[in-house]
Amino acid sequence: MTITLLRMTLAASLLATSALAEDAAGFRENFLSGAAPWETVTKRAADEGTVNLYYWGGSDPLNIWMDQVVTPDLAKLGVTLNPVRITGTKDAIDLVLAEKGAGKALGAGSVDAIWVNGENFATLKRQDALFGSFADKLPNSAHFEWDETDPRALLNLRDFGLATEAAEVPWSGEQYVCAVNTGRVEHAAAPTTFAELRTYLEAHPGKFSYVKPPHWLGNTFVQAALYAHNPDGSGATPFQETLESLGAAELARLIQPGFEYLKSIEPLLLGAQSGNIRYPEDGAALNGLFLNGEIDFACQFGLYAVATNLANGTFPEGAQSFIFPEGNMIKNKNYLAIPSNAPHPAAALVLADYMSSVAAQASKLQFTGMPAGIDPWTLTTDEAETLSAAAPGYIGVTQAELDANTAPDTNATLVDVIEAVWLDYIERGSADPFDVIVARAVSNLSN
Amino acid sequence: MFLRLHRSALILVAVFVLGPFVPLMIQSFAFRWGWPDLLPSTWWLEQREKSLLPLAWDYVLSPYSRILEATLNTILIGIVVTALALVICLPAARVLARETFPGKHAFEFFLALPLIVPEAAIGISLLMVFIKLGLAGSYLGIIIVHLIPTIPYMIRMLTAVYQGLGAEFEEQAMVLGASRWQVLRLVTLPMLMPGVIAGALFTFLVSSNIFLLTFFMGQGKIITLPTLLFSKISGGTLDASAAGIALVVTIPGVLLLLLSERFIREEAFGKGFGS
Repeated sequence: MTITLLRMTLAASLLATSALAEDAAGFRENFLSGAAPWETVTKRAADEGTVNLYYWGGSDPLNIWMDQVVTPDLAKLGVTLNPVRITGTKDAIDLVLAEKGAGKALGAGSVDAIWVNGENFATLKRQDALFGSFADKLPNSAHFEWDETDPRALLNLRDFGLATEAAEVPWSGEQYVCAVNTGRVEHAAAPTTFAELRTYLEAHPGKFSYVKPPHWLGNTFVQAALYAHNPDGSGATPFQETLESLGAAELARLIQPGFEYLKSIEPLLLGAQSGNIRYPEDGAALNGLFLNGEIDFACQFGLYAVATNLANGTFPEGAQSFIFPEGNMIKNKNYLAIPSNAPHPAAALVLADYMSSVAAQASKLQFTGMPAGIDPWTLTTDEAETLSAAAPGYIGVTQAELDANTAPDTNATLVDVIEAVWLDYIERGSADPFDVIVARAVSNLSN
Repeated sequence: MFLRLHRSALILVAVFVLGPFVPLMIQSFAFRWGWPDLLPSTWWLEQREKSLLPLAWDYVLSPYSRILEATLNTILIGIVVTALALVICLPAARVLARETFPGKHAFEFFLALPLIVPEAAIGISLLMVFIKLGLAGSYLGIIIVHLIPTIPYMIRMLTAVYQGLGAEFEEQAMVLGASRWQVLRLVTLPMLMPGVIAGALFTFLVSSNIFLLTFFMGQGKIITLPTLLFSKISGGTLDASAAGIALVVTIPGVLLLLLSERFIREEAFGKGFGS
C-alpha cells in the first residue's frame, strides 16, 4: 500500500512540475533582460496561482497582517499567498540549498521568496542561489533610490556591505535603538556615549547586558562599540571595506580599542557580581530581562519597538527610547529575496512588487511597527503622508535626533571575524595577544 | 490511616503533574507580567478592547494562529502512522515472539537503532533522498518518517504481549474445533487487545510530538502542533499566545490517555482475561 501511494505521489509531482517549469528558465531570461512587459509577469503569476513566502513566524502582529491584508490583496491579483512561518531564516536557506543540491532548478523548488538580510543573503549569493537582478525592474522600484551617487541609496545597494545587485528588494528599514525603563531611571540620566554607560554601570553594577554574539542583535552592539572606539576617529567608514582589502593586521588595529572597552565593562554586566555573566540569547530574552527590571536599558533593532512593545505588553510601562551611542546608531534594511529555484517565479515577482507598494508598506507599518523599506523622498507628498500617518510614533526621541546619529552596518566579511574575535577574546577570555586572536579568527574563517 | 496516606500521595502526584500548568495558564491570560509581580500587573481582558490586533486567547482561537489546521494535521498523521505501524508490527511481533531464527538478536538490536541514532542525522540525510523522490513537503513523506521512531516502540510492546500470550491458547481453541478465523477473532485479538491499545496509544503520542523530522519533511508547509509551538517559542520567552498554544498542544494527549485508560480497564482487561 505504501508503495502504491509512493508511486502515485511521484507521478503527481512529475505531472505538476512538467507544465510550467519547462519555460521557467525562458521566462527568467525574458524578464531579467527587460524584454518581458509587466503584463506577461502578472498573467504568468495568475497561471502559477501560488506563492510560497518563507518568513520568521514568531511575531503575532506580522502573522495577522499576512493573513488579514496580504492574502486578500494578492488574491485580487490572482495569486494565493502561502505564508510559511519558520523558526529561523536559516532553515529556509538550508532548504533552498538542499533542493538546489538535489538538482531542483527554477520552477521546481519550494521556496518562492524569503525574508532575509546580511549573512543569509550572503550565503545565497555565494552559492549562486538567487533568481537575479529583479528589484530594479519592478513597477514599484520607483519607490527606491537606486542612484549610486546618492549616499541615501546605500541601504538599497548594499546589505551588510555586500552588493545586493537588486537580487533582493528592501522590505523594511531598521535602526538600532536603545530603550530605558523610566520607571527605574530618568530619561535624562540615560547614557548617550559608551564612556557614560561605563560610568553608569560603575554606579549601578549589573544593570545592563547586550544580546550575545553571534546573534545579530549582539553583533550590532559590538559593531557600534567598535565604531565609537575607532582609533582614527573615522567611525564606521573603514568598516565598509571587505576583509580582503582591509587585511587582518589593519582590522586588528581598528577594533582593539573597542574590544578593550567591551572587556572593561564585562565585570559590570548583568550577573557578573555573582560570577556568572548573563548575555541574553536573543531579542525576546532581552525584552524579558528589561520587563523584569533586571536591566535598565535594552538595545535592539526597532525604531518603533517601544510603541509596539508597549501595545503588546512586552515592555514595562515606563519604557522610552533614547539616543545611544551618539553618532553610531546603526541603520540597515531587511529584504525579500527570490531563490534561483523558486517554483513560482512570476508570482514571487508580483509579491515583491506588491510588498514595495505604498499601501502594503503603510499597512505593515500600522499593524506591526516595522518601518517602511521604501524611501519616502521618492514618493509624492500624499504617499509620504500616508506612510507617516501609519507609523506608531516615537517615544522619547525625535526623527531629527535619530537621523542625526545614524551609522551604516559593517561589511558582512568583517562581521564574521568580529563575531569570532568576540567569542575568543570576551567569552573564552583568551590571553593571547590581540593581533594573534584576530589573525586566528581570519585564518579559521578562510579555511 | 492508609486512606489518608493514599490521599496525600495522590495530591503530591497531582501537584507534580499539574504544577507546571499553573503558570502556563496564568500566562495565557496575561497582558503584562513582569518580575517580581506574583500575578500579571495587566490582564489580557483589560487590554482586549484597546488593542488593534487580537491578543492572547483571541489570537490563539483566531484563524491567524492556524491552530485548527495544525491540530487536524497532527491527528490525521497520528492515526495513519498508528494504523500503518500496527499493520507492519503485528506480524513482525508474532514472529519475533514465537520463532527462533539465526541472527534474531542482531535483528532485534537493528530494530532499536532508530532510537539510538540522533533524529537530526536521520532527518537531514532522509531529506536529501525524499527531495529526489518528490516526497518532501508531502503528508506521505511525514508519515513515512514518523514510522521510523515509532516502529521500535510498537514492536517491543507487541512482542511482549505475544510472549505473554503463548501459543497454547490458540492451540487449545483449535483442539476444541475453532476455525483459524474464529481463533483470530475470538482468542488472539481479544487477548492482544491491551498490548495493541497501549502500543497504538504510545505510537500516536510519539508521532504527535515529533518536531524535527516533521519540520524537515514538511518543509514548513505542513504544520503540526509541535512545529506550530516551536515557531512560537523559539524566541526564548513565553508570551500569552504562546502559552495558549502550549496548552492546546497538550489536549490531544490528555484526551487520549483518559480514553484509553477507560478502554483498557473495561474492555480489554474485562473481556480479554475475563476474571
